[in-house]
Amino acid sequence: MDPQIERLLGNPVSFLADSGPDEDIAISSRIRLARNLAGRPFPSAASDEALCEVCGLVSDAASASGALGCPECFAFEPETLTPLEREILFERRLASRDFLARNGGTRLLVSNDESCSIMINEEDQLRIQALRPGFQLEAVWEEIDKLDDELGSRLDYAFDERLGFLTSCPTNVGTGMRASVMLHLPGLVLSGRIGPTIQGVNKLNLAVRGIFGEGTDNRGNLFQVSNQSTLGESEMQILERLSNVIGQLIAYEKNAREQLIAQDQFSILDHVGRSYGLLRHAYKLSSEEALNSLSGVRIGVDLGMFNSIDIKKVNELFIAINPAHLQLSAGRELSAAERNVCRAALCREKLKQA
Amino acid sequence: MLCDVCKKNEATIHIKEVHNGKVVASNLCGECAREKEAKGEFGTLGFNLAEVLFNLGKLSASMGQADSQQEETRGEELPACPVCGWTVGKVRESGGRLGCPECYRTFEPMISEALGRFQRGTIHLGKRPKSAGQGCASTLRFELERRRRELEELIRREEYEEAAVCRDRINQLKKELEKCDHPAPPAAEPEKETGDGSAD
Repeated sequence: MDPQIERLLGNPVSFLADSGPDEDIAISSRIRLARNLAGRPFPSAASDEALCEVCGLVSDAASASGALGCPECFAFEPETLTPLEREILFERRLASRDFLARNGGTRLLVSNDESCSIMINEEDQLRIQALRPGFQLEAVWEEIDKLDDELGSRLDYAFDERLGFLTSCPTNVGTGMRASVMLHLPGLVLSGRIGPTIQGVNKLNLAVRGIFGEGTDNRGNLFQVSNQSTLGESEMQILERLSNVIGQLIAYEKNAREQLIAQDQFSILDHVGRSYGLLRHAYKLSSEEALNSLSGVRIGVDLGMFNSIDIKKVNELFIAINPAHLQLSAGRELSAAERNVCRAALCREKLKQA
Repeated sequence: MLCDVCKKNEATIHIKEVHNGKVVASNLCGECAREKEAKGEFGTLGFNLAEVLFNLGKLSASMGQADSQQEETRGEELPACPVCGWTVGKVRESGGRLGCPECYRTFEPMISEALGRFQRGTIHLGKRPKSAGQGCASTLRFELERRRRELEELIRREEYEEAAVCRDRINQLKKELEKCDHPAPPAAEPEKETGDGSAD
């Protein structure tokens, strides 16, 4: 195994393992900034040499400024990793699939605690990311703003007075900022109110989607809410607008849970109990089953139903049950059927002493 | 109207295509359009995100008839980018991505029209890179410029209360800038609170 990947796997996933504000409903807050260098082609138009040069320039700027704790940070060359190792980076939300699928000329810098990263030569030359547990967009902004300044004082960013930061796709131009919060919304899903809520949020020009892959997928009742527009508002205005909506969603979710309990507490208790039972006693668990059950147990944790399961344990399982994490901890490639067995074993083990 | 694919998000992209004389309509949200694009599913339908974003090619909601000859060439009167050599055709091929920063100038008419449709504004009001102008006066000038644009935007959006706040700030900035350019002698009478929040 790649030694850096091995070191990474030894890390607790900080955005899941640490506590954050409103962590019962908001799992994590993330901001990413898209940046490019003046006078250089965007990655999709760049030659291999040009890509390589950008990798060097950005890495040097990070090392010289000490951004991300570089040069002692993680520095991955995705093309030297196995497909499984690359998938680990995706499952830990450090890199996008598009980025990992590129044929060389890319580099991924990651701070030692995995809270910040820079994808070099994704769609844009720099995709800077900061990720923290809970709902704390402002703190994430402070962190990434500083990181961006450190890099920006050493790199000549492509910037236009009227259009702002110039990005490969005009859907990102301006602030180049995409901010998102991952929310666990089982109350709204169980009470059937998630549909109208999502529609309402969409009308405010914000995007909502399930976090595992495709748009319609809401496995685990996890949703990601993010800004769509990047131009015409300052970063603070975008974050304020997003934060207001997130605050309301959290309140709606709490409300929905309270109502569900008031109306029919046994249904909720049953849902939590069955979820726990499945995780604790099943010998084969598909990814979907595991995610949905973890969501159920997470509600139970929020309701104080378990003595010895805390939110961190549940959060960590949300990552650990993913295919690449299962296979690397097993030390070999596993078929889908084998993964289901391993996944069930992992859940049984982790939730043993509840 | 909801997106045809996810049935959750509001559809913001409306496409009508003429297939063998039949009009086929689809309504998608931005996310699903991007996903379809990434999977290459638009290929078979003969369109991609670039065409949706920039209104290129055969796509046109208002087109009932296949006036394809004229539509096919939309945007193609624009020259190739002098820096990276990309053409409108290449932008379309790459799903709406541009080749280099200079492309924003080269394809300006096409881009500014598109920005008006999918961004909340057309002017950058956010941060500037560290390298761009520092110091008292330049910081103030930058904020003044930004606030002026902000005021334009707020009026355009008919957010008048915020516009009034913005206008007051502009007046305050003008005064501060004047002081910056012509510093008062040290014994000057104490001014009323100017606030030191001028720096961004």
